[in-house]
This record gives sequence, C-alpha cells and structure tokens, in this order.
Amino acid sequence: MTSLEFSSIRKCFGPTVALADFDLTIAPGEFISLLGPSGCGKTTALRIAAGFERADAGTVSLGGHELSPIPAHKRNMGMVFQSYSLFPNLDVRKNVAFGLKTRRLESSVIARRVDEMLEIVQLSGLGDRFPHQLSGGQQQRVALARALAVRPEVLLLDEPLSALDARVRSTLRDEIKRIQRDTGVTTLFVTHDQDEALAMSDRVGVMSEGRLEQVGSPHEVYQSPASPFVARFVGSINEIPSEQGTILVRPEALTIHENVLHGKWIGTVVASTFQGPSTLIDVRLDALDLLVRVHAPTGTYDGVAGSRVSISMVGDHLLAV
Amino acid sequence: MAIVRGRVFGRVVAPLILLVAAAFFILPLFAMMRFALQNVQVIDLRWSNLFDKWSLAPLWSAFSDDQFGRALTLSLKLAFGTGLISLLLLVPTIVWVHLRLPRARSTVEFLTILPYVIPAIGMVAGIMVIKPHARWFLNSDLSLIPFYVVLALPFTFRSIDSGLKALDLRTLVEASRSLGYGWMRTIVHVIVPNLRTAILSCLFLTVAVVLGEYTIADVLLKRTFPAFMGEYRGSDPKGGYGLAILSLVVTTLIFMIIGLVSRPKSARRRRARGTT
Repeated sequence: MTSLEFSSIRKCFGPTVALADFDLTIAPGEFISLLGPSGCGKTTALRIAAGFERADAGTVSLGGHELSPIPAHKRNMGMVFQSYSLFPNLDVRKNVAFGLKTRRLESSVIARRVDEMLEIVQLSGLGDRFPHQLSGGQQQRVALARALAVRPEVLLLDEPLSALDARVRSTLRDEIKRIQRDTGVTTLFVTHDQDEALAMSDRVGVMSEGRLEQVGSPHEVYQSPASPFVARFVGSINEIPSEQGTILVRPEALTIHENVLHGKWIGTVVASTFQGPSTLIDVRLDALDLLVRVHAPTGTYDGVAGSRVSISMVGDHLLAV
Repeated sequence: MAIVRGRVFGRVVAPLILLVAAAFFILPLFAMMRFALQNVQVIDLRWSNLFDKWSLAPLWSAFSDDQFGRALTLSLKLAFGTGLISLLLLVPTIVWVHLRLPRARSTVEFLTILPYVIPAIGMVAGIMVIKPHARWFLNSDLSLIPFYVVLALPFTFRSIDSGLKALDLRTLVEASRSLGYGWMRTIVHVIVPNLRTAILSCLFLTVAVVLGEYTIADVLLKRTFPAFMGEYRGSDPKGGYGLAILSLVVTTLIFMIIGLVSRPKSARRRRARGTT
C-alpha cells in the first residue's frame, strides 16, 4: 500500500486551465473519488498520475518518490478506462496475463495469478472468451482483473462505470468497492456521478474549473459543503431567500404539511415523483414564487398535483449565500 | 408503391448492374485468355470453337526462359523489401500522427497521395538527376526498393490508416503502457496484432504495385518480372499475355487467401463449429 500525492499541480491546454494549484494526498489503501462536471480537470489529474500527461508545474509523488521522470510504463499503476480497453485479439486469460508477461514471471505463477484474478471478479468460467463475446459489465470486470493482476501500487479508475446500464453499474460499483477493500490498493476514482462517489469512497474531492473545492468524507461533502458549488453539485438543493440572504436547504431538511397553517411557507404541489422509500414533491411557494423540492418519506404524504400545502424547515440549512 | 419499387431494384436492377460490371472486367480478360492459351489464329476465333485447342504450352515456354526465374525472384525480393520497409516506416509514423499530431493527419494523407498524382515518369526524371552521383546505390537491383516504397504510399498509407481508425487506439496504447509495455513493445504486442488485416492488405497492395511497375525498372535497366513480361511479349506475344493472366490469377488467389487468413480467430472458430 502506497500513498499518492499531488502537489501544486498546474496544467493548461492552450488557453484553457485544466488544473490550477491542485493539491491532494491519498493515504495508503484509501479510496478517493474526484467528482465534478465535465471539463473540471478530474481526468487530467488522473492522467498526470498515470504518466499520460505532463504537468506544467508541480509534482506527483508515489510513496514519497517523485514520478515526473518516470515514464508511464514504469509507474506500476493499474488503470481501468471508461471504454473497455481490452485487447480485442486476446482472450480473457491472455488479457489478464498481459501485464504479467512483461514482468518476467514464470508461466505457472502467471497462470495462478490469472485464476486468482478471474475468481476475484467472478469470471472464472469465461477465460477462453474474446472481448466481443462479453457484455459491457463483464468486459469491465476483465479490465479490472487485468489492472489488479500486476499488483499495482495505485489503481486508477477513469469513469469505469459510465458506459454501463444502471443495474450492472450498481452491481459493479459494489464489487469494485469490495475488491478494493479486500486488496487494500490505494485507489483514485474519477466520476461525474455523485451517487457513485458517495457510495464508494473513503473521501470525495469535489472539483470545479481545475480546482479542488472540497475534500472530505462523503458525509462531510454532503452535509457540510464548503462552498455553494459543492452544495449544488452534490445532491439536490433548494435555494430559498431569507433574512440571512439565500439559504441552501436539502429537500430532506424540509417537511410538508397538508394543513396550510402548520408550515412557514404556503404553496401548491406542482408535481411528485415516487421513488419507493420516499416521494420527491415539487411545490411552488406563493409568497416567493419559487419552486422547492421536498423529500417526503413514503406513507407521510403522496403529493397530489394542485393540492394546497405548507412547508417548514426541520433541519438546518447548509449555507447562506 | 415505394416498397414494390425497392423490391424491383433489389431483384432486377441491382443484379443487372452487377452483371454488366462483371462483364466489363471479365470479357477483356477472357479475350486475352483465348488469345494467349487457345491454339487458334486470332482471325479464326469464334463462339463455335470456344472449347477447341486450349493449351498451356505458351506458358511452359515462358517458364523455361532463362530470365523468367531470375526476374520473378528479383520482383519477389523487391516486394518483400518494399513491404517490410513500408511497414517499419508507416506503422510507427501513423500511430504517432494519430496519437500526438491528429491535426497533421490530413497533411500527411495529402503527401502520401502525391506519388499517385505525379506519374512515375516524374520520379524517373528525378532519378536521372541523381544517377551520376549515386551509381554505387543505383547499380544494385535492390535500389528499386525506396522508389517502390514511395510509389506504394497512396495504398499502404491508407490501409494502415484505416486499420488504425477502426481501433480505439489511444485507449489500447494507454492500457498497454499502464501495464508496463513501452512504446516499441506496445506497437509489437498490441498494435500490430490488431492491425493484422490492414498489414496484410498493405503487403498485398505492395506486391501488386511491385508486380505491376514497369517504368522505373525499365529506366534503371532492372530485369524485374514486369520488365521481363514486357520484353517477352515482344518475342512471344502469346506467352507474354499468358504470363499476364497468370500473374492476375496468382494475385487474386493471394487476395482470397489473405481474406481467409485475416478473419479474426474467433470468427474462424465459430464457422468451424457451425455457429454464428
């Protein structure tokens, strides 16, 4: 297990600043996600760590050793890409063994390691299949096995789930987390999906325009966002004008009353989305002419469009801006 | 109505177009074959004697010429050398252009088409200029190789380029490098195996160019197979045209073999198992 450290990294592509003063330390064995919208620089950070991009300024260190002079193929990092990236001419076993062959291991050791990796990703019976004979989820599992087979010091995951359908994504998300926990490999995961980042990570780094806005545990970035951007990007948010300015409030910090006299704001239900355990209800407030979203646990209120309701705050607001 | 029109096109017009196109190619070849291999005076060739007096004798006589073996061997050596140098030059260059200089691709593509636009005689004029200074090089039969590499560029570049376009090149290269393979090993172990079809078609086109090039070989006084065929045709027209037909047949066979060999392993296995 090794630490990975980015220190004052700057990277520009022409006039576009992709990363500006990017500092991040990933502890040994930690699973950290970089979360942000497209173009925020998260993939650039990962590619600099992998050695596929060169930083204009700053350093990346692995276990205290600076990586800049080391070419990508000597960094001993496993990487899983968004597009499946399996070698189409090799079957599953040969794909997984690919990185091991260059490490001059005995063929019996390679065979054993391949078996072990295929077992970890639960693809033991599919060793002789070619990539085009596998589903997207299976291909990503093979890519994960291939990256882990070389026992990398750091595992880099570049949006590996975004090309998969929702059900497979959810299953594979749990598996990646399980495998990471079992192997203890230091992991940098890049995603624009907040659910993935919150569910999988020990810590989440939220990025905007080449800068890290906040790094913290999933609970911290959700419940105590450091900036309005983080509050708006991670989870849903209501922005309600008040005496303190505009306050940012999560839907679950609001409660809805069928009796219009019970709440602080009165309004009309515009729409409701049933989500199983809860219903998201959109209400237009009369006085503020503002649409807010309220989280109602199932069985408390179903939200019939056109109903008159009132709303009050049950929790704290996150920020005032 | 539109569906009926589509069906008529599919069943009648399309096969008709195919038939006319096939006739356009096959009839002249067939005429050449009758001239070369049917032992009948040209003036007497009729439909009625279509199956009469066919013989491979003109071909055997061409094969028995002293120069035939030497010319064919030289052309095959030139084809091998041209193919090898084309691949060594083009694969790393085009990979580099795709990955690092994507904007330069159209310029490179334009440059590679120049040998097709400028006739071979233009290159011959250039050779005449350098000839007095490079006799040591031009005296060798293999000195034709660099010229053939240039002549084949419009075809070789395109076959490799289209092969690379069909791959997710950046991801494959980065995956390979992240697994510990340097640039050269990535090209050898990842790119070349995945370019098998493109490389085979590049080699095939090189062979076709070398077996068809006459001008430069003639100017440099090299006895390549096309130069031999040209000369032989003067002394024995039937044998000369017989050789031309044979070279076409061999080229077509090579093409068919390449088509079979270049199919992915898994597709071949599926076919062998009778599954789809």
